[in-house]
Amino acid sequence: MPRNDTIVYMKDIVKVYPDGTVALRGVDFEVKKGEIHGLLGENGAGKTTLMKILSGLLRPTSGEIYIRGRKVHFKSASEALKHGIGMVHQHLALVPAFTAYENIILGLPGKVIDRKKIEELMETTGLKIPLDAKVEDLPFGVRQRIEILKMLYRNVDILILDEPTTNLTPIETKELFETLRNLKKQGKTIIFITHKLREVLEVTDRVTVLRRGRVVGVVETSKATPEMLAKMMVGREVVFRIEKKPARPGEPVLVVKDLWVRSDLGGWAVKGVSFAVYSGEIFGIAGVEGNGQSELVEAITGLRRVEKGQVILMGRDVTNKPPSELYRMGLSHIPEDRQKLGLVLDMTVAENSVLGIHRLKKFIGKLLNMKWKNINVHAKKIIERFEIVAPGVRAPARSLSGGNQQKLVVGRELSKTPVVIVAAQPTRGLDVAATEYIRKILIKMRDEGKAVLLVSADLDEVLQLSDRVAIMYEGEFMGIAKPEELTEEQIGLMMGGYHMDQLKNTSSNRKVLEAS
Amino acid sequence: MGSLSSLKGKLVLLKGTLEKLVEIIFAIIVGFVIAGLMMYMGGFDPIKAYAAMFETSLSLTDPYYIAMTLSFATPVMLTALTFAIGVRAGLFNIGAEGQMYMGALGAVIVASWTLPGPLYLPLAFIVGSLLAAAWGLIAGLLKVLRGVNEVVSTIMLNWIAFWIVEYARVYVYPNPIDASKTISMPPPGRLPLLIRGTELSVSFIIAIITVFIVYYLLWHMVLGYEIRATGLNPTAARYGGINPKKTMLWAFIIGGIAAGLAGVSEITGRPPSYAITTGLSNLFGYGFDGIAVSLIGANHPLGIIPAAIFIGALSAGSRGMQTTAGVPLEMVKAVQGIIVWALAMPGLIRLIRRRMIRRRGVEL
Repeated sequence: MPRNDTIVYMKDIVKVYPDGTVALRGVDFEVKKGEIHGLLGENGAGKTTLMKILSGLLRPTSGEIYIRGRKVHFKSASEALKHGIGMVHQHLALVPAFTAYENIILGLPGKVIDRKKIEELMETTGLKIPLDAKVEDLPFGVRQRIEILKMLYRNVDILILDEPTTNLTPIETKELFETLRNLKKQGKTIIFITHKLREVLEVTDRVTVLRRGRVVGVVETSKATPEMLAKMMVGREVVFRIEKKPARPGEPVLVVKDLWVRSDLGGWAVKGVSFAVYSGEIFGIAGVEGNGQSELVEAITGLRRVEKGQVILMGRDVTNKPPSELYRMGLSHIPEDRQKLGLVLDMTVAENSVLGIHRLKKFIGKLLNMKWKNINVHAKKIIERFEIVAPGVRAPARSLSGGNQQKLVVGRELSKTPVVIVAAQPTRGLDVAATEYIRKILIKMRDEGKAVLLVSADLDEVLQLSDRVAIMYEGEFMGIAKPEELTEEQIGLMMGGYHMDQLKNTSSNRKVLEAS
Repeated sequence: MGSLSSLKGKLVLLKGTLEKLVEIIFAIIVGFVIAGLMMYMGGFDPIKAYAAMFETSLSLTDPYYIAMTLSFATPVMLTALTFAIGVRAGLFNIGAEGQMYMGALGAVIVASWTLPGPLYLPLAFIVGSLLAAAWGLIAGLLKVLRGVNEVVSTIMLNWIAFWIVEYARVYVYPNPIDASKTISMPPPGRLPLLIRGTELSVSFIIAIITVFIVYYLLWHMVLGYEIRATGLNPTAARYGGINPKKTMLWAFIIGGIAAGLAGVSEITGRPPSYAITTGLSNLFGYGFDGIAVSLIGANHPLGIIPAAIFIGALSAGSRGMQTTAGVPLEMVKAVQGIIVWALAMPGLIRLIRRRMIRRRGVEL
């Protein structure tokens, strides 16, 4: 039961989304007044859902919330704000064309607007920002400070930060932590959502670890070790095993050398990654999402500029070549977002079945006309082979369920008779049957001698399917190894930002790690 | 199973078409009722006015009226294609007006040459459509190379074209006999009339053929496939090996050609002037009317044909409303405006909503 110094107490919280996804399965969560509390977990653990419930953005399916000992029912974020709870999201909610000052006072009634008070607040908290600069001209770190200041000005004393360091440079991160400690001294309570072990250890007082919608444990940070947290975060029962023969890798088909790629925000998303994928093997890239995997895939598949380094496909330098040329050479790309990238939802199944290969001789005639007969036959073949449930080849792709949309993408990509298959999050959001189906196909492709690059945030998936796996963190590979040679603890540590070299002999020589 | 599910698909398609049809009929009723109320309040008899409008546009008693309707429908059918192709490529190309002026200028330039008779027509069409395509391409290049919004650039280019052509009318190609217009297309360069004594010429058939060519291009050719993919989802198009910039340029060029044909056909196929008249009065507005036509026709080539004829009927019928029902020109224009507005609005709203959703990067 909560004690006197408990400021937030969430009891037995269950959240089932309308589509049936169970995000939280009975979570108890407690935060003490004036502490920095870490909320740790992988993708899909339920961290953000839990905090959205606390900040009034989502309503729990069941469960109770107590703030300062009193039971509350938030219907909106503004009600939570009245209780002093505010959340700073990963994607900041500022108006770019407005100045920092305008953003802070946005939506407040005139009588509470007081520029002096904001300036005082800047002074006492150390959150220095140029009040009259336009937000669009400011770097991300400063924008985040504006958002925090905005919350503080609204008298927030329970501040929730969702993965606040994702887009920050190391120096900005340091400054943020300084600010957080400062706020703590002033009696503010901070909840810090993250998957980065080092940050949890550095800045928090206590940590709650979530895994698949359940609390795995609550620990005092001072008593925690990275290994312990890693194991709590990752350790899991394996749902099902996929049978596969040992790999017989051949020639290197896809080689990436010292690749540097920028993110949409302009910072480095991929920082000098090198690896090779051999024919007849599945090379997996694991890691918490947002650590540069998407940018890496886009750079390899011709969709994002390579700033430095090389991509070599079957011995030919294809750096910064357009996708159409890569496809001609035998690249298949199952993109991570089937709706945004992989399909034109308002086009028909037939039209989508040739996207990217629509200029093949099979599909166009002498007048540059589309040979619909052949295209329809092609679409029907994919539908049959991949058991896609569709009202017909002329139905819009939008009318298919998510799983069938994905099968359509996979079917199309494999119909290219590829040499290399780049599969990003190939089973995301699919039901068990569709997931298993697509995983089996990837293994079959491998057995047929194709090179498969698999990027997935689903750890089970990468570890089960891959013959070799790399763990990516902040744009770098923390290590490359065979999955069976890694312990859960080691994987968790690498996902949380520890390099494999640092992990050697962890069990026998723990001091090396602690010293780092 | 297969046939059953395909039947289901057809039913869904049918339902969608029916819903569209109901929407259009409802919009027509709303437009006519509101415009009728306005006329009633202005002291005119709306029933009489509408009867006169119908009588002088679609009634079969005298082929003259139908001919008038179709000759009004001809240019707007072509300029509607410009807008429709733009929409299919994800563009808001409202430059048909200026491109049409350029097309007409091209025809007048050819008319000023001394040529063997049979060369006038093909050359007028080639020069006119090339000039218009080039004019469209300017907006395209600005967009693709410099990121200039095509709405802004095409509006500005419309006015630049207006004054260039007006200048050419007065100073470069004035008619030596009649100062109110340019040099006329010599008789061998004129399209034959379909019905004697009317304004309806072969240009109407050219417009219909163009509509079908554009339809074929959009739905049965690789370029059309790429244009539609780009318009519906540029990110996926890029993933599909399509170069969205190149596709957009083509959409501007083809749209420009369509608008150019409208301009050329006004010079080669519209009695009595066969020339550009003062203040471009025999051209002015067809480009903008084309936008309404395209929206009413759901930005689909085959929808554009009935929509253009509808707008043509409104234009042709306006004369009867004035002469028979005594409604003044201003009121007639307002009535037309309200009806067009009611019909075009649902399509416009859908279009704007889609653009806004895309800008925010959200899929509904």
